[in-house]
Amino acid sequence: MEKKAFCRKDLLIIIPVLIIAAIMFLGNYLQPPSAAVAIVEKNGTEFCRIDLQKQKSIQIINVGGPMNIKLKAEPGAISFYHSDCPDQICVRTGKISKPGQTAVCLPGKVSVRIVSRNASSGKTYDAFTG
Amino acid sequence: MKKHKKIIVYCCVAAALLISIAGLLWKKYGQRSTRYQCTNFAMGTYIQQTVYGKNATAAASAAAKRIGELDSTISWRTDGSDIARLNKAAGTDWISIQPETASILKLSLDVAKETDGAFDPTILPISSMWDFGGNNQHVPSKANIQKFLKYVDYKDLRIDTSKNTASLRNHYMGIDLGAVGKGAACTDAVDAYRSTGAECGIIAVGGSIGMFGHKADGSPWDVAVRDPTVTDQNAAAMGELSLTSGYVSTSGTYELCFKQNGTLYHHLLNAKTGYPENNGLTSVTIVVNDGALSDALSTACFLLGREKSAPLLKKYNADAIFIDNNKHVYASANLKDKFTITNSKFVLQPQG
Repeated sequence: MEKKAFCRKDLLIIIPVLIIAAIMFLGNYLQPPSAAVAIVEKNGTEFCRIDLQKQKSIQIINVGGPMNIKLKAEPGAISFYHSDCPDQICVRTGKISKPGQTAVCLPGKVSVRIVSRNASSGKTYDAFTG
Repeated sequence: MKKHKKIIVYCCVAAALLISIAGLLWKKYGQRSTRYQCTNFAMGTYIQQTVYGKNATAAASAAAKRIGELDSTISWRTDGSDIARLNKAAGTDWISIQPETASILKLSLDVAKETDGAFDPTILPISSMWDFGGNNQHVPSKANIQKFLKYVDYKDLRIDTSKNTASLRNHYMGIDLGAVGKGAACTDAVDAYRSTGAECGIIAVGGSIGMFGHKADGSPWDVAVRDPTVTDQNAAAMGELSLTSGYVSTSGTYELCFKQNGTLYHHLLNAKTGYPENNGLTSVTIVVNDGALSDALSTACFLLGREKSAPLLKKYNADAIFIDNNKHVYASANLKDKFTITNSKFVLQPQG
């Protein structure tokens, strides 16, 4: 009868609501940790972006440029498939798949770097020396 | 009474939902809007910037512009650059150069003196013959090395920093600032971040790194040190440095190198012999408060070797990590709490 702001019955409503809120938060945190996106840049400007988790088949991407660069995107990884450059460092780099990895063709001025779709996942460095 | 309670409960529900939605939106957009990452190519290498703050985009493009200008001022390959003009005027007269070129030359000259000429900015006659990373990289003949080694001598480079002039005393001499340019670019980038009002940022020009300000969450910058035994370009980390400011550069045998008749030749040329220095080291990483200096010291300390580098490091108040080809790692005492090895192939040695 007295003025009570809360009684036990109210908890039946409040607790489920808090649980739902918690689930929404966790759902956001627990996205697949390997969510990797490849950013392809040509001459320092973005050429395209490939979500490697959504990549279901092997695809050759024609980036062109002076070295006629072609990339190979496949489920979970990307690599330089072809370049006319003399050193072939980019092609020899092989597949990259983890956030923080990069493959670069200096003569062709094309770079591919992997970033994580979900900023809080995985260990990434701010920079690499060497 | 009951009505009252219901209202309270509804308010709680609404508040909980609002908070969770706001949280999701903040996570998705809030933090990211202030962070800007970009890459471009200059100084013959790959540049990666991560800048934070409202002016992040402007700061990054200001830095890229400054680096482009620096490149066209100090590259010996660019016609009309300060260095190209200086090389062309070798053996004739003093020429006027930009103040920044003068100070970079002065710093190179100081480091050359300290290393007794193992590190030498007048290495161009030799380095252009080897042409590391170029279309014509090859081992020059012994006769040619002997012939052109005579034109490598830092004592014949004269600089007047008050008038911003410089001269090379003899014909056939030439300056190659390849060992300091990338580091100098890092200093320029950090200056650009400061003057455009970025909150904080980090730049990597090839293997040289410059840090500006503190990260928003207060954590230090995580800088990976490359595993020098991995020779392909897809670098793996052997350790990490946690730093709050300063500049880092690494010189290693894995970059700009080629194999001829089964022997590996790398770009770290000893100016006294004209050949790549093979003293058992595979990489040297320097941490110091200036970009060009970090770059010059990483090369200089590589050439000198660990023991002989000690006075040089002390003079410039620099810290170093030496890695030799037995995967033994030697780190300065100051880096004890900042440097951790993440690859167990490498063994940290007690410091003598």
